[in-house]
Parts: sequence; C-alpha cells; structure tokens
Amino acid sequence: MKFSPRFSFAVLFGLSLVASVAFSADPPLGLPSVPVPSNNPMTAEKISLGKQLYFDGRLSADNKVSCASCHDPAKGFSNGDQFATGVEGKKGGRNSPTVINTAYGALQFWDGRAKTLEDQALGPIQNPIEMNMTLDAVIKKLNGIEGYKTQFKKVFGTDGVTSDVIAKAIAAYERTVISGNAPYDKFKAGDTKALSEAAQRGQKLFFGKAHCSACHAGPNFSDNSFHNIGVGMGKKDFDKGRADISKLAGDTGAFKTPTLREIAKSGPYFHDGSVKTLEEVVDHYAKGGIPNEWLDEEIFNIKIAPTEKADLVKFMTEGLSSLDYPDHKAPELPK
Amino acid sequence: MLRSMAFLLCGSIALTAVAQDAKPTTVLGGIDNPCGVAVQAATGHIFIAAHSGVWRLDPKSGKAHAEIAGFPTDIYGKGPKYNIGPLGLAFWDDEHLIVGDGSRPDGDELVRIYKVGKDAPHADHPPIKEDAAVATLGPIKASEETAKGEGNFYGVASNGKSIFITCNGDDTKGWIAKSTAANGKPGALKLSVATKVATEVDAPVPVIFSLDGKDLVVGQMGEVSTPPGDSLLSIYDPETGKLKKNYKTGLNDIAGLAYSPKTKKLYATDYSWSDPKAGGLFRLDIDGDSIKAVKIASLDKPTACAFDKNGVLYVAVFGTVAEGSDKPAGALVKFDSGL
Repeated sequence: MKFSPRFSFAVLFGLSLVASVAFSADPPLGLPSVPVPSNNPMTAEKISLGKQLYFDGRLSADNKVSCASCHDPAKGFSNGDQFATGVEGKKGGRNSPTVINTAYGALQFWDGRAKTLEDQALGPIQNPIEMNMTLDAVIKKLNGIEGYKTQFKKVFGTDGVTSDVIAKAIAAYERTVISGNAPYDKFKAGDTKALSEAAQRGQKLFFGKAHCSACHAGPNFSDNSFHNIGVGMGKKDFDKGRADISKLAGDTGAFKTPTLREIAKSGPYFHDGSVKTLEEVVDHYAKGGIPNEWLDEEIFNIKIAPTEKADLVKFMTEGLSSLDYPDHKAPELPK
Repeated sequence: MLRSMAFLLCGSIALTAVAQDAKPTTVLGGIDNPCGVAVQAATGHIFIAAHSGVWRLDPKSGKAHAEIAGFPTDIYGKGPKYNIGPLGLAFWDDEHLIVGDGSRPDGDELVRIYKVGKDAPHADHPPIKEDAAVATLGPIKASEETAKGEGNFYGVASNGKSIFITCNGDDTKGWIAKSTAANGKPGALKLSVATKVATEVDAPVPVIFSLDGKDLVVGQMGEVSTPPGDSLLSIYDPETGKLKKNYKTGLNDIAGLAYSPKTKKLYATDYSWSDPKAGGLFRLDIDGDSIKAVKIASLDKPTACAFDKNGVLYVAVFGTVAEGSDKPAGALVKFDSGL
C-alpha cells in the first residue's frame, strides 16, 4: 500500500466485507482538482462500492469479464492487447482506452459518445461483445447478492439496485484512478534533477519541433478533442470514429486524444491498437500519418533524427510515469 | 476515515445566463463567409472581410462596394468546409485599414495595410488590388518557434503604435504576432505572445484593446469540435506579453469581442462550431475573478463584431446555405444602440 502526501488510498476490509476508502483528494502535483458532478458527490463508501463493481466479473453474462478485464491496473488500465476481449473471448474493434485520468475527460470512449463517466459506465455492460448483459439482468443479479444490496442501501438509500446507482458508483471509483506527480511535474515545479538530460531534450522536442503538444496539451496531456491522425485510414472499411457520433464529415476517422500520462504502461497504441511501441508511434507521426482527406492539419511530415526520437520516447516513458501510479488491487468481493 | 474532500464540483467557474431580448437587423446579406468587421471612425463606414474580399458599407445609404479584391482562396475545415479569404480587420489610422490574411497556406500568409480613403460607396468604384497595399507585414515562415509557419490571421488590434495579430499556424504555441511602429511606419511582424503556453488552450482568435488601452483582451477559441465550453477570455499586458487574467467563459468558440463605447460593457460572439444552436451574441460580465456570459441573441455562426461610435453593434454571421443553393448565406447584422 502506497501513501502519497497528496493523494492516498487505504482500503480496509471490515466485518461486512465492505471496503472503506480513505483518501485525500487534493490533486497530485501537476493536475487540477478532479471534476465531480453535483449529482454524484464522492464518498468513501461509494468509491469502495464502485471499486468492487469495477473488479467484479459477475456484471458480465459469463461471470468472467469485469471492467478490470479490459482496463487492468497492471496494464496501464488497458489490457495489453490490440483489442478489447469480452465474453466468450469475443474481440472488439478498438483498443481498450486507459481509465487513468479519464476523470478529466470532457467526453468518454474513443469516439466521445458518452458525455460523462456515469453515461460511460453502463455501455460495456450492455455491449454484446464485451459484457453482454441487459441492465435488467445485471440489476437482478446484483440484487441477489446481499453484500451489494446492503452497500447500495447504505450509499444511495435505495432498497434495490438500479442502473443509475451502478453507474454512479463505478464512475465515482474511476474518478480516483488518477496519475500525477510525475518527474515532468516535479521538473516543471523547479526540481531540476527530476528529469534526465535525455528526457529534458525530449520535453523540448515534445513542446516544440515534434509538435506533440498541438493535441497532447494541458495538465492531462490531452486537448479532449478528436483528430484524424492518419491511423487505419488505408483500409476500405476504415473506422469512421467521431463522425458516427457527431455526423460531421470533418470528424471522419477522428478519435479522442488520449492522455499520455503512464503511457509506458498502456500499450499497444492508437485507437486500433496497431502499434506496439512508442518508437513506432513517433515514426508514425514523423511520416505524417496515412494521407486522407480528413487528416488533421496538425499531422504533417516532421524530420526527427534517431537520437531525437529516443529523447522523445525517454520524455514520455520517464517523464510521465509516476511513482504514485494507481496500482490498485482487486478488492474482496461481496457474496 | 474520510479526511478531506476537495473535489471540484462542475460548473462552479463560469456561469451562463440567458437574457435574449435584443433583435438583430440585417444590413447586408449575400456575403460569403464574413470573418472580419471594422468601423471607420471618420465616416462611420463598415468594412467587412469575406471570402470575396473586403467590402465597404455605408450604413446610412445601405450602399456597398468591393473595396479590396483579388485574394486567393484557402479552405478551412474538413467538413463542413469553408472558402476563406481575408480575415481580421482593424484601422491603423483614419484612412488605413489593416487586413489579416487567410487566403494562403500557413507560412505564406500576410498582413497588409491599405489606404482606403473616405469616399462613400458607389457602384463603379474600382476595388484596390489585393497586392496593392501600402505596407505588407510577414510572412512568418516555419522556424524553431513555429513548426509550419504562421497564418489564418483572424484577429487584428491596433492602437496606432503597435499592431497585434492572432495567428493560427503552430497549435503548440498559439502565437499573437506584434508589429511595433517606428517613425510612423509599422515594423516587422514578430512572434510575441505564446497564448497556448500561457493558457493551455488552443487558438487565439479575436483580439482588442481594453477601453483604457492598457490591456490586450483576447478570446481563446479552444477546440472547435469539442470539448464544449472551453473558450477563454484572457487579458495580457501588451508591453510584456504577460498573462494578467484568464477567465473560463463557458462559451464554445469565441470568435469576436467588442466593448460598447456607450455602456462600457464587453460583448463576445460564440460561433459554437459543433452546436450552432448554442451560438450567438453574449455579454461578458466580469466581477473580480469570476465571469458570467449572458446570452443576448441567438445568431447562426457569428464571427467578428465591432461597435460604431454611437453604440451600434455590427456582427458578421456565416449563416447556413440552404440545401441545393449555391448562394452565400453570410450577412452583416446590427444591434441598435443600447447594448
């Protein structure tokens, strides 16, 4: 169990198997306060309940697939594979986006189809190739688990489980999956020894010539917007991405800018998981992506020397990996 | 066990309200994608920058003519796509108009100053050729400071000593360029304020001076697709370029700013790219560190705005081209004095 002076968790298991969570919600160095909707305030009990739901495979049709299956803390809150894998080994068509710092996201999913974490939370449960449950079925299943019923009543005052409170609990937990206080943040705050010389060179490239910060901007290294970066566009039936939601032609092939915090842990990369290493990611951008009529204007050929590429990768892997990584473990689940 | 709870409750920074009672009147229609508006103080003539060039309108007679023409065409957006030409406008002095370019690729675009005189519009007026400027500033080519070179000069502000131009070339910096006059002539255009570095939000667009002339007031448009409500109002020291204040307005895409000379109130247009119904004219009420955007009127994709000396506000709007039509839908509308 790690404790950070700025953001700490302590999970204790009580007699009723209800994990209680203590935390200091002062944001870690480099990050702002976590936005919380006024209709779903954070409480320790709610976060604990949400964590149990997050790690519980019983929310899926085959009782094996949980949120954590595709968003595994041990794998950068992604799954380490090209695509998400759901019930009965079914494969999705997109890479599992990390949950890290998704609390700061303006919209959720690669295509931004959910406006809030609460909206997002129920999506995979009902997706036939992810958890393949109806809401009625998951509510019935959870209502049959006394440990959950007791907690939902205590946290939300409801006699039974509802989809609304499931979503709120999971979203509350996801708002605690935060990574800041990285070497980059310390260096920015004045600790000149926080970054190696190579990482410092990479930082200069990142915010300058390499043009990364055109999109990977702000405290969370994401502009929360959608861009066609020329990935997967060579296929005849390429993924339309954001355009399927916004119905704007200009959003064709555009996907949400992911955070780069803890990027070293959450590969493979891009919305289609088509690239295994950050070196390949840099190569892609240096070439300017696959040309297409919707290619973002910020994607263009950039001359990057091999040493510069190494420096850029060093900045991302060293500079954006925190010692306070949210290395959450699965809690004991209610029966 | 719960020690502290300092999460930020959403919606506590910027407030928005609706007080829609102002009605716009169209004073010039059929304009293709107007992006700039400036008022000539001596004559009251309105200058409008559109894809087809810069137009002069006498609001008293309603007559208009093409004042500057012959700009190339560039395309903005990936869908919808818009043909654009000259963009930002501001007067250098009584007779000289500064025009920010949007008609060329980044790195090739120019800021030009034209002698427009004071003649009233008439039908057989020969327009000034685009390259017949009395001064040309730029281009700002690609360099260590700007990966692609600069362009899309949406906003222009001038106090007769310095010219400030918002640039939308390098999205890692969000530059405002500056030209400082010497011996009555504008100096070279130099990158001056890196607004994205200062605010971590994209795209400076409108720029004006505060009423006392001491501050540079900038609308930071933010991302045009998402997220909603990311536009900023930022205040800079024009001498040092230092950020003095930064307000999260809650607006989607601030495209124009203007102070009323009568009421001293600040107004902003919100283009609201991804949700045009949310766009319109807003009053920005600032109280210390807080700001409230009050909707004054809905407008269909408004861009630049400018007051005349009597407090009449002129706003350029893109409008929406009717299905199957090839006629421009842009217009200049006005709000009579009282704002």
